[in-house]
Amino acid sequence: MTTTTEPVESRTKYTGARIRRTEDPRLLAGRGQYIDDVTVPKMLEAAVLRSTHAHARIRNIDVTRARALPGVFDVIVGTDLAELAEPQPVIWFPIPEQRIARVHALAVERVRWVGQAVAAVVATDRYVAEDALELIEVDYEPLPVVADLDAALAPGAPRLFADWPDNVSGALTYRNGDADKAFATADLVVSGTFDHGRTFGCPLEPRGCIVNWDSFEGTLDVWLGTQSPNLARDLFGEVFGIPVHKIRVRTPNLGGGFGNKFDFYPEEVIAAVLSRRTGRPVKLLESRAESFAATGHSRDQRMDFEMALRSDGTIVGLRGTAYGVLGGALGTVGSGPPWASVLTCMGPYKIPNLELNLKAVVTNRSPYGSYRGWGAPKGNLVHERLIEMAARELRMDRATIRRKNFPAPDEFPYFTGAIFTFDSGRYADCLDLAMSKVEELGWRDRQAQARAEGRCVGIGYSFHIEPSGYGPSRILNLAGLTHSGFDEATVRMDSTGRVTIYTGQINMGQGTHTVYSQLAADTLGIPMEDVLVVTGDTDSCPYTGYGTGGSRATALGGAAVLRAGERLRAKILRVAGQLLEASPDDLDIDDGTISVRGTTGPTVTTRDVGDAAYRRLRDRLPEEEMPTLEEVDVFDPVNMATSFGCAVLLAEVDPETGTVTLLDCLQAHDCGTVVNPMLVDGQLAGGLAQAMGGALLEELVYDGDGRLHTGSFRDYLLPTASDIPPFSFFHQETPAPDIPGGMKGVGEAGTIAGVSLVASAIDDALRDHGVTVTRFPVTPHRLLAQIREAAENGAAR
Amino acid sequence: MTDRQTVSMTINGHVYTDEVEPRLTLADFIRRHCGLTGTHLGCEHGVCGACTIMVDGKTARACLMLAVQADGCTLTTVEGLAEGERLTPLQEAFWNNHGLQCGFCTPGMLMCATELLQTDPDPTAEKVRTCLSGNLCRCTGYDSIVTSVLSAAERLRS
Amino acid sequence: MLVEHGADATVLAGGQSLMPMLSFRQARPSFLIDINRVEALDFVRDEGESLLLGATTRQRDVETNPVAAAAIPLLPELLGHVGHVTNRNRGTVGGSLAHADPAAELPTLVTALDGELMVEGPRGPRTIAAEDFFLAPHRTSMGFDEVLTAVRLPRLPAGTAVAVEQIARRHGDLAVVGVIAAIRLGPDGAIDLVRLAASGVGPVPVRLHAVETALTGVAPTTEAIDAVAEAVSAAVQPPDDIHAPASYRRDMACLLVKRAVGEALRRSEVSE
Repeated sequence: MTTTTEPVESRTKYTGARIRRTEDPRLLAGRGQYIDDVTVPKMLEAAVLRSTHAHARIRNIDVTRARALPGVFDVIVGTDLAELAEPQPVIWFPIPEQRIARVHALAVERVRWVGQAVAAVVATDRYVAEDALELIEVDYEPLPVVADLDAALAPGAPRLFADWPDNVSGALTYRNGDADKAFATADLVVSGTFDHGRTFGCPLEPRGCIVNWDSFEGTLDVWLGTQSPNLARDLFGEVFGIPVHKIRVRTPNLGGGFGNKFDFYPEEVIAAVLSRRTGRPVKLLESRAESFAATGHSRDQRMDFEMALRSDGTIVGLRGTAYGVLGGALGTVGSGPPWASVLTCMGPYKIPNLELNLKAVVTNRSPYGSYRGWGAPKGNLVHERLIEMAARELRMDRATIRRKNFPAPDEFPYFTGAIFTFDSGRYADCLDLAMSKVEELGWRDRQAQARAEGRCVGIGYSFHIEPSGYGPSRILNLAGLTHSGFDEATVRMDSTGRVTIYTGQINMGQGTHTVYSQLAADTLGIPMEDVLVVTGDTDSCPYTGYGTGGSRATALGGAAVLRAGERLRAKILRVAGQLLEASPDDLDIDDGTISVRGTTGPTVTTRDVGDAAYRRLRDRLPEEEMPTLEEVDVFDPVNMATSFGCAVLLAEVDPETGTVTLLDCLQAHDCGTVVNPMLVDGQLAGGLAQAMGGALLEELVYDGDGRLHTGSFRDYLLPTASDIPPFSFFHQETPAPDIPGGMKGVGEAGTIAGVSLVASAIDDALRDHGVTVTRFPVTPHRLLAQIREAAENGAAR
Repeated sequence: MTDRQTVSMTINGHVYTDEVEPRLTLADFIRRHCGLTGTHLGCEHGVCGACTIMVDGKTARACLMLAVQADGCTLTTVEGLAEGERLTPLQEAFWNNHGLQCGFCTPGMLMCATELLQTDPDPTAEKVRTCLSGNLCRCTGYDSIVTSVLSAAERLRS
Repeated sequence: MLVEHGADATVLAGGQSLMPMLSFRQARPSFLIDINRVEALDFVRDEGESLLLGATTRQRDVETNPVAAAAIPLLPELLGHVGHVTNRNRGTVGGSLAHADPAAELPTLVTALDGELMVEGPRGPRTIAAEDFFLAPHRTSMGFDEVLTAVRLPRLPAGTAVAVEQIARRHGDLAVVGVIAAIRLGPDGAIDLVRLAASGVGPVPVRLHAVETALTGVAPTTEAIDAVAEAVSAAVQPPDDIHAPASYRRDMACLLVKRAVGEALRRSEVSE
């Protein structure tokens, strides 16, 4: 399908306004319905036994005692599950000829990470199911452990998969220009190894599902806390060999997703198998403690890169290798995020010569999954860390060197040299906007005053790009995705003139319902209160390619709503034209009332139009019109929509303890048309806070034996209100040229910019100490060690 | 398991009585036995604060109490804040200031902020942050929550 | 019941530490004895020379109690570091002490102040000095059939200034390292009383006797305070964990002792 962009007339009563969300009142009243709030008749509850070994052969599993416990309905192990289910699916294959490690939802014969599911119990309730888990005895024969990247790549390392020559799942290289020549002739080369620790999205609501397998109907009825119900439906079909029309996936309120709930997990399959075997609906929720091993891990990557520049600050080359530290099996998205880090590591800068390598390596850790940012945060570390290192070497102002390397607005669409073409941008304007706000808000004075008092206060910058609106289906297919990227929406006006929007997008807290209501109300000329948005049911809602991920809900889902709305508006006007005996071309709709433009004559309302299209058609619905008022649109973009921004952070370091305090943060941002600035600010703030967590606090810690030491919120430290600074946001709007409505995605901006932002502020705070932070999270003891090392080196010089 | 015990407590003005195992957490009693699912479980080990409720007028984490310990107590959960369909000024302020996204942490935030505003009608932003630092939010970045609480405080004072 | 069921029974106080362990199935007592409604143990009593706190007194009640603050001025500030308000609404004084976490605030306070712990069991009541009470992480010298009933915190002499310094990963977390300092200057301007205890740097809260000795009778100069680092380092045996290696904790103990002493000195100047 080819999509061309239809011009959309601008009628903005709601678009661009700070409108409070339609979703909120019931959530505030405690009336939301999250997955654990859903119960279905005859439901049982399950629990999963997880491996305590990072790498072991399973000699035997004795479930006799568990099975005998009163209240237990069934206990299954890997071999039971494998009789009914295929191994867990992978949908992203960005690396040609990549070795794909797929395993079943319950381990068969071998475990390859701590927390891998080895058995499952279903019982009257979760308490009894957990009692039964304690009665299962697993006999493990430990195997040599590959605990981290270095261990995986060491010569003679133990192999996770016997039929692989090593632990490398795959590798690829993108080349553009002549990197070797650029480096050979450069005036300056700066290089760094940047390590991002393992973190995860950690939505506050753990994952969960209820699955009802009706063997007699051959149907699978699923409640699932997912960002991608259509993908889950397709993957259930693949794993069980069931036609998808017999699978229904419903999604209740999501207590956060952040990519973690995009992926398709073993628990969904385990619950389905237990339901089939017991003939009862089965609820399976992960506990928080389980989530640290069972929800997809992310970010774990080493970026070994160097940048070549001329002495005037012009970047001439970038080369290096990204090592993706995958787990003991490939997750749903395979090595997608590390791949995306390579595609984004040139960032907003024009770099003519590139040699970008990706190496995806398996280890005895939990599988790698999706997390908001999806590779781009590590790409950002490369370009933002290196350009600041270059600025220091060249004694250039950090804004000047950035500005010097931006493509100009008339150079768009701008091809980066590796896959992505950025659609539109005014990068320098955005940088200037940020810098002007730093002045206006008096941060430089704050910094100067603090430094005069002997305090180490720094200002950090991060310019980021966010390729959003994933994406053109055929290009995604070409890049190795076995899924599509279009979005479908149905906009239906009923017999009373009220509108319902059906979309395959999922509302996970970002405010999609409000945004679609705004867009539809403006397009149709009706009050927002007249619009209802329905999501979260594959039986009633349309197919969406991909799911709610890749910052696509507003850009692509919104475009589909706009285009369907435009066509529906035309039909409404045609019907109204009949009612008003006027040409549809002369009509306007405002606030649900249709009148002849520029006159004060007779009017009709959408209610009259609804009545004419559904009930009293005679003499009122034009003969050639099909009854009802409904339009469907499928929008498949021709390109991604790349938003961008410049974040600035004021931070203080205590050089005696290594602790970092974040004082104030702002971001100038451009995501094209801003539909609801309050919601855009919310996305920016939330993303930045997550990145600040990853920069300073959060890390899933493994030891040399592959044991996970972060099993609670006392160990895995999410940032609190005391750790996150106040935020100010400023917007400029450069419309997306390929998206009707001009919207670009914004969901991942903060996570992309935030880690290098914190690093930049720390470096600046410690400018007298000569520190460049490269390893994240920057914990107090790590930073203190670096400060002392810098002091020793300084003394030695 | 030890024999079931009868517990009875008043939640949001209604008396709930049931027989429970002593090991049943108060959070599970509220959610499973009383159907009040507005009290959310984000960690079940007392860190995230999503399950915060009022027990005899003071905030408590429902996952850190057993149902039997609340026998005879008077509880308020998030469902008990609004008067019928009328949201409280604090809830309104969260709505006006985008103080929630997914809404999962919100019940606990509302409870802690309600307690704060009862004891300090004019808190500083820093005090609000300290007060809410025991409640994890993964969506908002907190700033809009702080704004919400300060705005509610202002409205409640006037 | 404790006598009858022995090690199979556990006392449940405010539940802020025990309940997570039950939830993780790390603790699995057959019997839980809930002492939350033992009203006789819920009190704050000024006994002149000391402050007596009942074991089931809620931490928040102590924090906001003017009698407690008058007797032990450090209490409100210190308790402000114990978890969050909601934890302190339920968490009890006795629960925190009996839980004996070497990184926790109240065990460190009783250690710093030469506090006494009153316990009762089948052999009758007895009093245990703070430094004899804590044996190891989460282990005390109470018998399995004994229960903590109260803690006595001696008042510091008039003119003593106190300070608390902490490094925690986040507000409300158990400190990576914490130090409590109490200092009084004599008429000659030299330090004539000093109490120092540190948390997070050993299996139990550590009373820094050698450092106290080194500082007593000394003029409070920067040099004198800097000179104690070695004594601090020798007194601590910090653990390694994911939040910080032992070496960092050791260094920070030295730093925080200096900072806490410095802060207490500043406060004593202000109070004069």
